[in-house]
Amino acid sequence: MSTQHSKAAAAYLRDEAVVTRHDQTFFAVRQKRDRMAQALPEWEQLRETADQIKRHTATHLAQYLEQFEANATRNGVHVHWAADAAEYNSIVYDILRSHDVKKVVKSKSMLTEECHLNSSLEAKGIEVVETDLGERILQMMQLAPSHIVMPALHVHREDIGDCFRSKIADYDEIAKGYAAISPEPHDENDPTFLTYVARMHLRRQFMEAGAGMTGANFGVAATGDVVVCTNEGNADMSTSIPRLHIVSMGIEKLIPDLSSLAVFQRLLARCGTGQETTVYTSQFRGPRPGGEMHIILVDNGRSEILGNPEHWQTLKCMRCGACMNTCPVYRRSAGYSYTYFIPGPIGINLGMLRNPKTYSDNVSACSLCCSCDNVCPVRVDLSSQVYRWRQQLDSLGRADEMKKFMSGGMSLLFNHPLFYKLALRLSPLVNWLPSSLLNSRFNPWASGHKMMKFPKKSFHELWKKL
Amino acid sequence: MKIGLFVPCYVDALYPEVGVSTLKLLRSLGLDVEYPERQTCCGQPMGNAGFEKMAVPLAKKYDELFRSYDYVVAPSASCAAYVRCFHPQLLGAKDKVCEAAGKTVDLVEFLHDILKVESLPAYFPHKVSVHNSCHGVRELGLSSPSERNIPRFNKIIDLLRLVEGIEVVEPERPDECCGFGGMFSVEETAVSARMGLDKVRRHMATGAEYITGPDSSCLMHMQGVAEKQGLGIKFIHVAQILTSTR
Amino acid sequence: MEETMSTKEAILSRLRSNTRETYDMPSLKALHAITYPDPVEEFKTKAQTVGGARLLEAKKGDDLNALICQIYSDAGIIASNLPGVEAQLNPDTVAQAQDLETADVGVIQGHIGVAENACVWIPQTMKERAVCFASQRLVILLSKENIVNNMHEAYARIEQSDEYFCDYKFGTFISGPSKTADIEGALVYGAQAARAVTIVLF
Repeated sequence: MSTQHSKAAAAYLRDEAVVTRHDQTFFAVRQKRDRMAQALPEWEQLRETADQIKRHTATHLAQYLEQFEANATRNGVHVHWAADAAEYNSIVYDILRSHDVKKVVKSKSMLTEECHLNSSLEAKGIEVVETDLGERILQMMQLAPSHIVMPALHVHREDIGDCFRSKIADYDEIAKGYAAISPEPHDENDPTFLTYVARMHLRRQFMEAGAGMTGANFGVAATGDVVVCTNEGNADMSTSIPRLHIVSMGIEKLIPDLSSLAVFQRLLARCGTGQETTVYTSQFRGPRPGGEMHIILVDNGRSEILGNPEHWQTLKCMRCGACMNTCPVYRRSAGYSYTYFIPGPIGINLGMLRNPKTYSDNVSACSLCCSCDNVCPVRVDLSSQVYRWRQQLDSLGRADEMKKFMSGGMSLLFNHPLFYKLALRLSPLVNWLPSSLLNSRFNPWASGHKMMKFPKKSFHELWKKL
Repeated sequence: MKIGLFVPCYVDALYPEVGVSTLKLLRSLGLDVEYPERQTCCGQPMGNAGFEKMAVPLAKKYDELFRSYDYVVAPSASCAAYVRCFHPQLLGAKDKVCEAAGKTVDLVEFLHDILKVESLPAYFPHKVSVHNSCHGVRELGLSSPSERNIPRFNKIIDLLRLVEGIEVVEPERPDECCGFGGMFSVEETAVSARMGLDKVRRHMATGAEYITGPDSSCLMHMQGVAEKQGLGIKFIHVAQILTSTR
Repeated sequence: MEETMSTKEAILSRLRSNTRETYDMPSLKALHAITYPDPVEEFKTKAQTVGGARLLEAKKGDDLNALICQIYSDAGIIASNLPGVEAQLNPDTVAQAQDLETADVGVIQGHIGVAENACVWIPQTMKERAVCFASQRLVILLSKENIVNNMHEAYARIEQSDEYFCDYKFGTFISGPSKTADIEGALVYGAQAARAVTIVLF
């Protein structure tokens, strides 16, 4: 019995070159992160402080949410509360409908992915345009994100070029415009050119849209501010042109004050993409002149996570993606091998918290190397949490039968020193088993390894003569 | 100082020479070493696989066998780490047992931190690439994890440098996982094998003749992968190098 | 409205009942953030390496229009509400934000520069802040006296000042031109917002 993850990973791993490229791309981001960490003498102290602030905020969340709501309301923002995805989606729809909005531009938000907002709005006739380049590429190609920060890094330029040429109506006109400003010949799939095409295409969307939606990297309780970080400036374009701004914010995004914000602003981009900062760190305190701003505070299971003694610390996560970039399993199996929409170490845990029976197939995707624990800016104990989930699989009826059988066998052996000694004596006999048996499907070890040779005598038999 | 020698199950069965080297090395340093014969396994394979309950009686047994020693030394970083980091929680606060966990050390940290060995009569005229096992790095602190901004150190390399004639190198990505992970290697066979292959290739790119480390489980995994792929590199446990002579 | 209230109350009460042990807020005083012997020099280096901005040093009293002309000699429509800047578009008086899409060069005032990461604090001091994002290219004016070491110092200034978030409830840190690496990780300047930024240090 193999997990969905292990099967999907095996399929992905058949193309050695693709895996090499994926692994190197994300390891390069990890190395950029390392350089950021090494450049700040206070790095570990910064992580410790971030961890403590998040622990504090998560365990005083009700009070901070009330403070945040009061301040935001005073600033002229409409604050809404959503218990789950359905309530959230309907609040968004009601706001858009009451403003007669036909098209929404939106910047990247994992929360909207979590709640399937786009399909919900599209089903009701509202056009949703993702404006982060990676997200827009995926939206046009009808693909899901494969990473939470660099969602389309697995897509190749040729496929992006093909997609743009077939899906962007005024592609030819834009290409002509590019030739005017950049007359040198270029490849039609050159990233600079394709980014220009997307820029011109998206700028039209910003002009036409009736509303802009953003997520929130942070909500500041003391001021009621929402802080959004991007490199592309798409959140700012989305909110400085349309007059209606809707913020979707998971309740765990709250931090106490601006001093805390400094700590997290410094960590977010350094950990996520290995940059000192994102290009834009925008702080929204209220609506634009003549505009309207709404914040929807979404629970969708978060308040229950707080009550889980073994896993509540996932609430500290600020979705930087560092754990994915360092995860040797993620880098070699890629985002789509995971059955939850967030992959990697944090995704394994968040998936289990969403629904342990549905998402238990990802729990195998961890060699317990603990590297994720060391890169996490808020020190979520990711690998220990995976270990703890594994302990629950059996009672969930999701344990791997082979592993259970093997563990049971070992248990029998190791609990009975006489059996154990006998087995040690007999183990060299394994060497004489026919290779057809050793290399059969009953021995998964043999799929990647040459079988080990047992020595004639174990240490148990040797030590007395020493 | 009375030392209990813990030779984990798979070392016992597959790599008895590692146990032999460890015992010889400790005795050569003038220590009183005992090997409690009823020892078997620390329980990590079951714990990591999700059957921690099956590891509880083993943790109890381990504690009974080893609690009376000043130190318990194991030539296997991952097993020492499991005992030290997980046995206390396995046995829980209600049992006032688990004294052995706090006294359990990997051979490298025992030599480096406790005995503070400064010279060894060892001779090994070969180029070796050091394998920094995950649990050695991130649970026992045998070297500074590459992810963290702390002063750089590597206790394995410090010890190997005492050996005459040796050339010690580290691969690119010096502490990336080799992909063993206990039952991870039989459940996620494809990812595990690829991780192993990548790791072996990086070790080989250093031009080393041997891959060495404080953990035979990683070495076993990499050796299996290397042999399956026909890659010619040799594997040797740190204890064996430290006891090599002319 | 009643339903919204009940959702809120339900969430808050679940949070309260699910909170087990609580943790104190740490003191941030113990955090010794990086400082530089010469923050202005550090800012200048970081603005070019981290931010990908151009940097120009000027003297107080230099003619702004001549400077802009020197920076972007091919400048088309200039958008600004800064006194002394000859602009064809004024973000205070445009009919709608969309009008600023035609701006070639936006000229805006930076209030705080941050040495550690080249961030420049741009509080909204114009009716339509689209000038900061929709303009093809940006000129940011910044006084050397307003350069601080790190984000802690920057946010402390923002927190203590009563100058920000009054007329307009927005401010942003900008560290350079809009950029992306979403296509195969290749770094490209000019994603959605300004494709070039020049910081003029006075």
